[in-house]
Amino acid sequence: MADMTLEMVQASQAGMKALGAAIAVGATGIATGIAEMSIGSAAVGATAENKDIFGLALLFVVIPETIVIFGLVVALLLLF
Amino acid sequence: MAEKRTGLVPYEYVCTRLRVRKSKLLAREDYLRMLNMSIPEITRFIEETQYKKEIDELGTSFSGIDLLEIALSWNLAKEYQNIQKIAPGDLKRFTQSYLRRWDIQNVLTILRGKAQKIKSGKIKEILIPAGELDRVLLDRLLKEESPERVVEALKGYTMYPVLSKWLESAIAEGSFAHMENALYRQFYSDLIEEAMSGFKGGRNYLDYIMLEIDMINIRNMFRLRADRIQQDAREMAIPGGTFGVDEFQRLVNREDHNEFIDAVKSRIKLRPLLDMLETLRQEKSLRETEIELIKFQIKEMESMSKRNPFSIHPILTYLEKKKYEIINLRALARGKESNLPTERIRGFLVI
Repeated sequence: MADMTLEMVQASQAGMKALGAAIAVGATGIATGIAEMSIGSAAVGATAENKDIFGLALLFVVIPETIVIFGLVVALLLLF
Repeated sequence: MAEKRTGLVPYEYVCTRLRVRKSKLLAREDYLRMLNMSIPEITRFIEETQYKKEIDELGTSFSGIDLLEIALSWNLAKEYQNIQKIAPGDLKRFTQSYLRRWDIQNVLTILRGKAQKIKSGKIKEILIPAGELDRVLLDRLLKEESPERVVEALKGYTMYPVLSKWLESAIAEGSFAHMENALYRQFYSDLIEEAMSGFKGGRNYLDYIMLEIDMINIRNMFRLRADRIQQDAREMAIPGGTFGVDEFQRLVNREDHNEFIDAVKSRIKLRPLLDMLETLRQEKSLRETEIELIKFQIKEMESMSKRNPFSIHPILTYLEKKKYEIINLRALARGKESNLPTERIRGFLVI
């Protein structure tokens, strides 16, 4: 480790940042998917019975999108 | 196990669908409004709800009370068949087994009709093909000439052994009551067996079946006590719930009403049921008592389906509430047909 040059350290830091950003987006994406799975199927069920609530049901389905947006924000903060 | 595991998601789909359907059932206010309407007005009123398709279809062939009755039966059968189609995995299995009660009702209706030589067309009007025996099979049974031939045609079905065992005595006595009791006892023991056979969600199913058995036993005890019949009540008891068969007989034979209520309460653990039984301490008419017990059962089912929102409970709650909607509408229509006073009809409604 002692014989690493400054360029190597900088490259390694950039790599770790990229990895962190990837985890932030990836993990929150999976979490959003899990959350939307249940809400989505319930929303489709409710809409199948009553078409008028499609707009409201869609709104509920996209609420977990906030999780992945937080992940994206964290990833952007890490990268830039 | 060959059963395909469908995971949690389809439960949410179907349970939400049925929850929405439940919210579309007629409200208490609707019944109160209908109490002041005539039969054609009631027909028009329900035509604007979930019964439009059936009433439009049957409107050309029937009118008045017949139109209403047949439309209600058709709607119930269609609704139950549809639920069997959309229920996923293990929930389908439980729903189908629960709906087998309609098979018992249909077969008994056919047997009674055949024994009394009623025309097939008349019997067909009151059948509700909501269980395992579909319209085609029921039509085939209706074509048979005698009760014996009807029972023979059911060879291979779960109810066949009980039917064949009791048929001879039923025909000799001219009453199918003992056969009916035996069929329901077998039905509930099959349900318990199915719930305990290790399928996912079986525990929830069992909880509900236990509640239903207890409520039926309590209702039957009140009925038998009101009739003051000194016969053997044991065959009326459905085993598997809180009350054993001998205990059922002892409770029915208790002389004092307060002692009877205390004895029933001592065996019950469900707190809301204890409170409800306390209200039955003052002697009410049998009809009022029965309606109170049914209302309690529906309320308890609602709370079970809230506690377990993605289980068999929301499905069963909807099935039962739909059944009572049909029963209410029928009581309303029949009451209006017989010119009963509004207050009297209201007493028959489960609202």
